[in-house]
Amino acid sequence: MNEETSGLVAQYWAIGFFVFAVLALCTFMIVAASLLGGRSQGRSKTLPYESGILGTGSARQRYSVKFYLVAMLFVIFDIEAVFLFAWAVSLREVGWTGFLGAAVFIFILLAGLVYDTRVGALDWAPKGRTPRP
Amino acid sequence: MTYLIALLPLILVCATAVAVMLGIAWQRHHASTVLTAVVGLNLALLSLVAVHQVAPFETLLVAVDGLAIFGAVLVLVSTLACATLAHAYLEHYRGPREEFYLLLLCAAAGGLVLVSSRHMATLFFGLELLSMPLYGMLAYAFHERRSLEAGIKYLVLSAAATAFLLFGMALAYAQTGRLDLAGLTAGLGEGGGAWGLAGAGLILVGLGFKLSLVPFHLWTPDVYEGGPGPAATFLASASKVAVVIVLLRLVIESPAFAHVGVHQILAVLAFASMLIGNLLALTQANLKRLLGYSSIAHFGYLLVALVVAEGLAVETAAVYLVMYVVTTLGAFGVVTLVSSRDISGDAAALHHYRGLFWRRPYLTAVLTVALLSLAGIPFTAGFIGKFYIVALGVEAGRWWLVGGLIVGSAIGLYYYLRVMVTLYLVEPGMQRHDAPHDWGTRAGGVVVLGLAALVVLLGVYPTPIIEWAAALGVAHG
Repeated sequence: MNEETSGLVAQYWAIGFFVFAVLALCTFMIVAASLLGGRSQGRSKTLPYESGILGTGSARQRYSVKFYLVAMLFVIFDIEAVFLFAWAVSLREVGWTGFLGAAVFIFILLAGLVYDTRVGALDWAPKGRTPRP
Repeated sequence: MTYLIALLPLILVCATAVAVMLGIAWQRHHASTVLTAVVGLNLALLSLVAVHQVAPFETLLVAVDGLAIFGAVLVLVSTLACATLAHAYLEHYRGPREEFYLLLLCAAAGGLVLVSSRHMATLFFGLELLSMPLYGMLAYAFHERRSLEAGIKYLVLSAAATAFLLFGMALAYAQTGRLDLAGLTAGLGEGGGAWGLAGAGLILVGLGFKLSLVPFHLWTPDVYEGGPGPAATFLASASKVAVVIVLLRLVIESPAFAHVGVHQILAVLAFASMLIGNLLALTQANLKRLLGYSSIAHFGYLLVALVVAEGLAVETAAVYLVMYVVTTLGAFGVVTLVSSRDISGDAAALHHYRGLFWRRPYLTAVLTVALLSLAGIPFTAGFIGKFYIVALGVEAGRWWLVGGLIVGSAIGLYYYLRVMVTLYLVEPGMQRHDAPHDWGTRAGGVVVLGLAALVVLLGVYPTPIIEWAAALGVAHG
């Protein structure tokens, strides 16, 4: 083991010890609590605690799938807009070539938007149920 | 201007994709969508002639040279074949059909980027642009369990492989401070170091997954089996060709890579792929799974060229790639055409093919030629490719690999012949003829017949391909 490697080990032993200490502390807390504390049994003891109020309904509500679709489209177009910032900060350097490139980029985005609108991806309310193929 | 001409195929394919998208937005029409896609792909193929005039052209990100043009031709031809097969396949599909061509064109654009990449950024970009549409294409018939399963399996495993690839790139960058392939491999060759070695290994894992080499091959049979015919065809041909071209650039163009011990790793992967791929194919009762396992073995054979990486290596790899692509397109094309009349799932189980000869004699002939070529029988294209690999291995004295190839081919012959016997079995009480009479004049039929003719032609008269590959070998060897 050369000097550099042993230096590296010495430098990072604290991190190793930290990781070990975290794991040991967690294990200790869980094991000690389960050994020392009692566990009471009862009819209502297994219910989830919700500020003393009985929970109603299921936690697994069903959202319309449109919610995810529109959210995803929003994120996608948002990210595409972020790319334009790269053009904005270098506007003078890239000149007309850059303008042309950005125009093509925006045109493709527009085409995507037109496509999304036409296939009904942006309609919030679902249309009448169409028979599944 | 040179810049625009050099990138013309890519621009044309992307423009076609946008045109197809706008066309769908305007009005859905299956035939005209196919027409647009095919015309765009043919224009891109033609524009390669113009690209050839300006050929050795390099920027920081892309290198448009002989190898890139060779890869682009293979990718575009396979995409064209997939588009025509998809037309036949989707005709009876009752969901939206037109988006398939949109995904196909995007994937083809990714393949074009990948074959000409000389920078980690374009490599990653091309690989992702190639893979992302494939998720959609594999899960296209999402009402069927199998297809959805194939898409999700490929998505999850491919994302994991991409993570490996990215982490490898990051480690290699940390070691060398370079992202262009030449500088990167040169930096790794000088000192390497633990991080550089780990980076090279992780990059190899990522690319090995896409090629389904043996320790990373588990996804292949399931995805081939579940995906719709045209998507599986694209996955087996264009997607693999593009990755092989990148690997060829990485390994052969930079001899510095040899110092990192990559060649030893590649030799082990090649040997394992040949044997395990062929052994697993033995007991398959599903033609698509069988073709999947056999493609694992075939990329094991192909890796021999990358292991040797000197002398005729580039020429061998190029010849083998052409032979593999033509044959695979033929075999998968027949599977797709046979499946296309079935509404519920692909007809891939071997018992569907029992006595196929008596029902669809010409399709069976095509499949027989393709299987013979995959087995490497003389007078078919596969023989020329395999001959090149054996010659290269013998000349370099890689006896283990040559032995593996011979044993693998022997095993392969058994299961290819098993399928062929099934094709000609007479079954009591079977239908004599169930194909539409005009299938041969339709686009899909013409494509598979042409591919079969090409397989035989290249097996008898391979000179044009060999000359082309030799020119590549001189330029890149």
